[in-house]
Amino acid sequence: MADDDDGAPVEAEFVETENSELIIARVENKTRQVERLLRLLQYTEALQIALEDAPTKTRDERCKSANWVLVHRVLMATKDVDGLLTNLNSEYYDLLMKYLYRGLATGDRPTCDQCLRLHEKLTQIAGMGCIMRALADTWNVV
Amino acid sequence: MAVVASHQLAQSITAHAWNATLTMIAVCPNNSEVHIYKGTPAPDSVWEKAFVLKKHDQLVSGIDWAPISDYIVTVSHDRNSYVWSFDGTQWQPTLVILRLNRAAVSVDWSPKENKFVVGSGAKSVCVCFYEAENNWWVSKIIRKKHNSTVTGVAWHPNNLLIATTSTDCKCRVFSAYIKGVDSKINPGTAFADTKFGEQIIQLDLANGWSFGVKWSPSGHSLAYVGHDSSLHIVSDIGPTPAHQTINLRHLPLRDLLFLSETKLVGGGFDCNPMLFEIDPKRGVWVFAKFIDEAKSSTHDLKSSTLFLEAMGRFHGQTRRGSHEIFETSRASGLAHDNCITCIVPLISAGEVNGQEPGAKVVQAFSTSGVDGKLVIWSFSNITELLAKLQI
Repeated sequence: MADDDDGAPVEAEFVETENSELIIARVENKTRQVERLLRLLQYTEALQIALEDAPTKTRDERCKSANWVLVHRVLMATKDVDGLLTNLNSEYYDLLMKYLYRGLATGDRPTCDQCLRLHEKLTQIAGMGCIMRALADTWNVV
Repeated sequence: MAVVASHQLAQSITAHAWNATLTMIAVCPNNSEVHIYKGTPAPDSVWEKAFVLKKHDQLVSGIDWAPISDYIVTVSHDRNSYVWSFDGTQWQPTLVILRLNRAAVSVDWSPKENKFVVGSGAKSVCVCFYEAENNWWVSKIIRKKHNSTVTGVAWHPNNLLIATTSTDCKCRVFSAYIKGVDSKINPGTAFADTKFGEQIIQLDLANGWSFGVKWSPSGHSLAYVGHDSSLHIVSDIGPTPAHQTINLRHLPLRDLLFLSETKLVGGGFDCNPMLFEIDPKRGVWVFAKFIDEAKSSTHDLKSSTLFLEAMGRFHGQTRRGSHEIFETSRASGLAHDNCITCIVPLISAGEVNGQEPGAKVVQAFSTSGVDGKLVIWSFSNITELLAKLQI
């Protein structure tokens, strides 16, 4: 019957807008920049590079995982959670919140601890709306 | 802006609508009945239940009261709609055969009251009009385009266009021109040559289910809310619309209301109406403030009560029901305890400073929600506003 999923988006066909190889190449490029910034202790900039152009529109899991590994690297390297978030550009809040939930889903103790700390601070800064958007958005999944 | 009055009418209210003179209000207390109370928005008014309309078999999901003809239209999960007219002593129902195979979820009278639109779970929209020869209401269905339940419907002031929002996260504008009911349109008007059911535009701005949709008083702009805590305002409907998305800091909204061309109020899961206005310097819509002020309770008291509540919940005690969980985390003292689902305008009065001369601004509105309360809000003295209304 046609009454199966009320609310799930019905896409006619999903068109991969970008080649997965290109995306992975871009992530590798970003990794180099991020490593350099981390050595210079510029955590916020490193996070912004990692979040920029995140492969949310693609369906390829490898691309998403590749970018997640990069974001994870930055999150775990950060000691000063407050400093990281205060200077972060507000356009990245929703995206970061999605990555935090991905981190919490891993179940890995150190990752979860760090993500929980970040989650608390990010919610104070961005509000509950940010959490809503991270949970409600099922198209642009990280 | 203040709360004028608050009435606890039921455990939960699905929808409400006022009559033209603001002397009666129709409310659905989350069941298959519609209760009509005699009462006014004035703070000293005592409300008494005057009529109970029992015709639907399932939840009544939408009510609208036409100001000129005094007809009430109700739609329900039982896939039916009734148009009620008052014959002096009783409300007489007229069944409208919508030809739906799923629940009807939302309803709106057209500005001229010769048509009404119904949104349904059958991924379709019905536009109903009165056929005088047979003395009944006929429904024309728009079956295309929607991928899921149509949650919100709204008429453009020109009586021809309808906007719909759906749980497929999109907002669409259709033409609802019906030959024979709508007189010939001026060829100069926008969308003059569109057929019934033709989609004018589809807006894919929200990332969550979209709920309330409203047109601005002039029809120039359209606003709708998304369950991803977003509010979208679109102007210049056509091939190149101008749109603005506001991502809210707070919980999502469920319904909204344009107070004027530059102000709008939204109500939702924060249980507190939010005021949005156009920032005069930047020309964009911004969140202005929450309209309700929480009565301050000392912070230590709050934290100890919270702790006790948490302990109580941990040990499996519940007091009144699931509403309890929300109460503790909200600042107590707000007019609503639970989600606001319906906002209805009450009184529009002439200009307020800064508005164009002659432009009407909504000065008072009422909200109802899942907590069963009906709250009246007013920007100025409501008794004066009501007095002007009678004249």
